[in-house]
Amino acid sequence: MASAATVQDSTIKWMIADWAKRNLRSFYPVIVIFALLVFFTARNPNFATLNNMVNIGQQSSILLLVSLAGTFIILIGSIDLSVGAVLTLAGVIAGLIINEYGIAPALAVATATGVLVGLINGSTMIVLKVPSFLVTLGTMSILTGITNMICNGSSIILLNYTLTDFVNARVILGIPNIVVVTLLIAFVLILLSYRTVLGRHFYAIGGGEKVAASSGVRVTRVKIIAFMLSGGLSALAGVLLAAQVGAATPVAGSSNMLLDSIAAIVMGGTALSGGIGGPHRTILGVLVIALLSNGMDVTEVNSFTQQVVKGLVIILAVASTIDRRKYQFIK
Amino acid sequence: MDRVVPALELIDVHKRFGPVTALRSVNLVLEKHSVLGLVGENGAGKSTLISVVNGTVRPTLGTVRVNGRELNAGHPTEAGYMGIATVFQEQGLVANLPVYENILLGREGKFANAGFLSVGEMVKVAREVLSELEIEIDPLARTGDLPFGKRQLVEIAKAFALGRIYPVQPIIMLDEPTSALSESETQLLFALIRRWRGKATIIFVSHHLSDVFEVCDQVVALKDGAVTGQWDIEKATPEILHEAIVGRKRSEAYYKESEQRENPGDIVLSARGLERPGEFMDISLDVRSGEILGIAGVMGSGKAALAHALAGSIRPVKGVITVNGRAVALGSPNAALRAGIGFVPAERNDSGLIGMHSVEWNLTLPNLRAYCAGNLPFLSSAAQAEVANKWLRKLRVKATGRKALMSSLSGGNAQKIVFAKWLERDISLFVLEDPCRGLDVGAKEEIYSLLRQLAKDGVAIVLVSDNLSELIGLSNRIITLKSGRITAEFGTPSGSKPEETTIIASMV
Repeated sequence: MASAATVQDSTIKWMIADWAKRNLRSFYPVIVIFALLVFFTARNPNFATLNNMVNIGQQSSILLLVSLAGTFIILIGSIDLSVGAVLTLAGVIAGLIINEYGIAPALAVATATGVLVGLINGSTMIVLKVPSFLVTLGTMSILTGITNMICNGSSIILLNYTLTDFVNARVILGIPNIVVVTLLIAFVLILLSYRTVLGRHFYAIGGGEKVAASSGVRVTRVKIIAFMLSGGLSALAGVLLAAQVGAATPVAGSSNMLLDSIAAIVMGGTALSGGIGGPHRTILGVLVIALLSNGMDVTEVNSFTQQVVKGLVIILAVASTIDRRKYQFIK
Repeated sequence: MDRVVPALELIDVHKRFGPVTALRSVNLVLEKHSVLGLVGENGAGKSTLISVVNGTVRPTLGTVRVNGRELNAGHPTEAGYMGIATVFQEQGLVANLPVYENILLGREGKFANAGFLSVGEMVKVAREVLSELEIEIDPLARTGDLPFGKRQLVEIAKAFALGRIYPVQPIIMLDEPTSALSESETQLLFALIRRWRGKATIIFVSHHLSDVFEVCDQVVALKDGAVTGQWDIEKATPEILHEAIVGRKRSEAYYKESEQRENPGDIVLSARGLERPGEFMDISLDVRSGEILGIAGVMGSGKAALAHALAGSIRPVKGVITVNGRAVALGSPNAALRAGIGFVPAERNDSGLIGMHSVEWNLTLPNLRAYCAGNLPFLSSAAQAEVANKWLRKLRVKATGRKALMSSLSGGNAQKIVFAKWLERDISLFVLEDPCRGLDVGAKEEIYSLLRQLAKDGVAIVLVSDNLSELIGLSNRIITLKSGRITAEFGTPSGSKPEETTIIASMV
């Protein structure tokens, strides 16, 4: 028979363990960020400099936008594989229009294209009852084809420098404008998810679609809005990327972007099954991916090794933070 | 002296999960060929006890002996070899496999020759098991295509099949087997149990005390993980059991009949000519403010479909529904909600609440726009907090607070939140589908009180339930459905409630 003392000990230990497990999902990205900072700074003191951090910000803004786009889709329990392809196409469209018609039309048409793709993705999924994984897989391929048809293999150089200059300029506190713009957008999206009715509807659909429907949520409408939001944000990211680089290339949104965005979303703590997480978490996730990539660059790690490392980190992240009570059987 | 070895013995079994003690000092002896009833509230330890017996869970302390042999805990497969089978409330069948596969699930090894399955042999054995139990189901049918009641019978056949495959007399644990069975299917189950007790030993876990009295030899009550009593069935009464389960004496009138409101107000909902092919037809009814209208019928009579139609979840092809004089668009949950109809569905965890979200989020979901400050579409946390705390207090919900996860609430408390969800929206009519399913005695009483209070406040209630005594006890009037049509209407005023047999006559 266990003595009273050991029962007491084990109860306290158990309580701490339970608290840790439950909050791990929130702390994990922060812990990893801290660990990465320490690790890479030890290897190369230049890592933790302000200059490098600004660098990282600049390099990861686009990834943040794309990841934010994907976050809402994952929140409602679906997935959007076409984000990279939308980004590429939008960049190309913007490139074509900006040279002749200027910035505003380029932005408008490119973003509208993204929103339209989102509308098509969402509607096809709902009307034809095709799972989002497959619809967006198909759209990804279609859009890549269209982009290649337009470009014929070559890149489109942006002759209008205004946007490029704006994006790369540093107006506030030496922070590149693209970072400022992206963080502003992130802030708006955080407000959207946590403080608006639409945001709550996203969470409700992801948490329990049947319940949401019977509670008066217009599920179809909200899902399509989520896809349109994702498309619009990805397109915007495409325009900004083209502006940042100064040219729109048909391989801008290559497969790495999609994978990195999903890695960032998951790393941040948004559950793949939906209903939990959100844009505030995605920011942390992107930070992890960005620190990891930049850290490995700065310590001159082979790019193939980098891919291996990234993959391992993703698996570890999901394994440590997945709520196993929710999935009785992992598939 | 020749001592008969008991089928099952639990000796001083304790089970702790972290700081929670699920079972304490449980001592139980189950003789061969007897039927033991196991009763207790949700959370009393019934499921843990089942898990300990069927080997899924290892007891922290204590021993389990099956037919004299010690059970090697933590190995449900081994428990299977010893003849222990469990039939769960939430089905343990694979829908896309044929019936014979499900009956022999996990035991295919016995029918394999060098790795190749002898399907013919499997079908033959399955057929034999089914016919011995007098269950008429085609072993080749796809399990998912069978109606719920038939699937339950396949599960029971699966349990009995163990006696066929292994040289053991099965010990079969039935967990809430009758909760979702119709009256005729329940009688069939009882007949099976009586026929088979000569070849098996049975543990019958149930909330339905009437079932326990009908078919068990002994009954054991669990409360907070400990055994509070064990009686021969002749010596037990519902009052004694109720007290052992809940810890307090059963209140005078279980269904609070004395609180039944006998003067309903104006008509709230009016349905005319509702029809849905294959489900119901020619349904016309009125429900008044403050009235509880019960709808009775066997499974397949169309009562579930009718409930869903009134709540807007499914769409009748013909007919009209008016609420407070205004016609309501059919088949639209939103239209029903706007008209003031709230729906508490049977599948609580599936369609009633979102387990991974907080109490507050669940409560505020149907009415989010109301918590937006002014014209801006921003939700006010203060407004939401106020509403959440109000209902937690008013309905006396046991939870750690408004931020508690829904999944952490017990069945009864979760059900109260489901009600509160709608109450916040000024509902004039509730459609309830088996609102007390799976709830323990104490929680049921609280829901019954809630319903009486709602009726007093003028809310109209349509109650669909398989529990006939509950239906009779709670309702002002009962409509019976048979094969989709209304066959009779009965007044059920408090003080002169009809017998169950009267109502059943119009159902079958």
